[in-house]
Amino acid sequence: MPQGILIPEAQPSPDLFTGVPSQWRASREKGDPSTALSKDSIHMAERDGTIYLVSENYSYKSEAYYSILEREIRGQRVAPDSSSILDAFVVPICLERAHSCGIPVADYAISQSCIPVPAVIYGLNYFACTSHFEVLQENAQEREMIRHVTNNGKYPFCSQRLDVGVRIERKTSIFGMVASPGKGMADMAGRIWECFRIPLVEIVCLSGPDGLRLSSLCPVRYSHLSKVEKSIVRACLSGQEFL
Amino acid sequence: MSRLGVFVDRKTLSSAEQLNALIRCRDTAEEMGHGVEFIFPVDIRKIPQMDGLFIRARTDPMNVTYVASRMASFAQIPVIDDPMSIQICSDKVNMYSRLMQHGVMIPRTLFVSQRDLCPARAREIFDDLGSPLIVKEPSTSFSLRVEKVTDPAGLLQVARRYFKMSDWIVAQEFVESTYDWRVGVLGGEFLYACKYIIPSQTFKIQDSVNGHVVYCGVQSVPPDMVPAAVRELGVRAGRAIGNGLYGVDIKEGPSGPCVIEVNDNPSLEGGEDTAYPDVYREIVHTLLET
Repeated sequence: MPQGILIPEAQPSPDLFTGVPSQWRASREKGDPSTALSKDSIHMAERDGTIYLVSENYSYKSEAYYSILEREIRGQRVAPDSSSILDAFVVPICLERAHSCGIPVADYAISQSCIPVPAVIYGLNYFACTSHFEVLQENAQEREMIRHVTNNGKYPFCSQRLDVGVRIERKTSIFGMVASPGKGMADMAGRIWECFRIPLVEIVCLSGPDGLRLSSLCPVRYSHLSKVEKSIVRACLSGQEFL
Repeated sequence: MSRLGVFVDRKTLSSAEQLNALIRCRDTAEEMGHGVEFIFPVDIRKIPQMDGLFIRARTDPMNVTYVASRMASFAQIPVIDDPMSIQICSDKVNMYSRLMQHGVMIPRTLFVSQRDLCPARAREIFDDLGSPLIVKEPSTSFSLRVEKVTDPAGLLQVARRYFKMSDWIVAQEFVESTYDWRVGVLGGEFLYACKYIIPSQTFKIQDSVNGHVVYCGVQSVPPDMVPAAVRELGVRAGRAIGNGLYGVDIKEGPSGPCVIEVNDNPSLEGGEDTAYPDVYREIVHTLLET
């Protein structure tokens, strides 16, 4: 388990944080190589008998997945659990589970052929990753994009209609917190944390006149984290209170 | 009258044997007074309208069958295969871990992480398991991505390919046999048994030999002809996984029968149930009448 306190690479401006406990904003930290967010590294923090596992790749059959599975089979409490990982990264299941937790979600359909555009489409197959979604804006694109996502029509896909005025918004959630202003996404991140318990995940939402609707959850590469986000991850791993 | 949903995909329907098996399933449910509806991936939202769901397509947590299974569980509808059975049986690391945890006899087995495997570790694995040994990519099915290796170099070569699909792989002691027992288990009870006769050209129940696919022969075996030890081991293995429908593959090794794998969504189209005419009746009863 990582120990020590870190100095963030850049002291984040307090107004960039939404939902982050105040002691984090004020903390001065010093370096600890055990929390170096290097490629494929897996980090753990333990609180109240639960092991929280931070990874940039929670996908099925990954090292992180098996680390979680190993602990579950030993009877340890671990977050996220392996079922939550499978639920989170298959879009229709993610949306159904989020809906059952009271989270507003995008309307979706599963299809194998043409769909009304504009729309967001996600592959539903062994090789699909939620971070590789496609946005169809016009009919001319449709056939080629669908061929790409379905591996030439071999697999079905999940589509979500993009109504007029709706745009895609993406934010990284770190233990249910986001490093950005805006209450909507902060609320969404908090609710998704309660539902899935994934310490590091990107939230993709459809943002429209009726607010945010969850579109999908995606893995997050450490290299894509901002300095502020990295400092939040390190603060969580360094043993400060976060739950 | 209850409604049974049978989840199928294009691949299920592409085989005449599968189609015949599906028709037998439908006829049985209708004879029992229930309605049957075939559900395709695009109809997945109909699942909550069903009273039970029977998945007849290749299951995997990463494909649409898992979506169907989870949809049924969200709606609290009985489903075969349930999500946990799919999650466990589709991943041999998970499956063997559960069998070990429950003390079910399996060949000596090691899980090998990509992070740990090096020439020295490969030699240790051979020291532990002997030669030849079997290497499996965890989500193998129908004997795909299962290979026999005879030395550490061969292990490293196969592992390098399999690590493209999984960060962990399985290395297992080789148990030689000319046939596998398949014990069907439903709800923790014995359902049927058959033998899969392994083609002479290979050690697998299905393989590509000189560009031709060779399949095992299937012999349904009446209950009184099934050794008690095989039957009991099959039931114990099924119970170690869950309460669903499983096909447990068993080899009779030098130190007694051992479980080679537990399959969710076991095949029923190859004549496995010839000596057991009530298999579909039992499945429909479990889904709709208990």
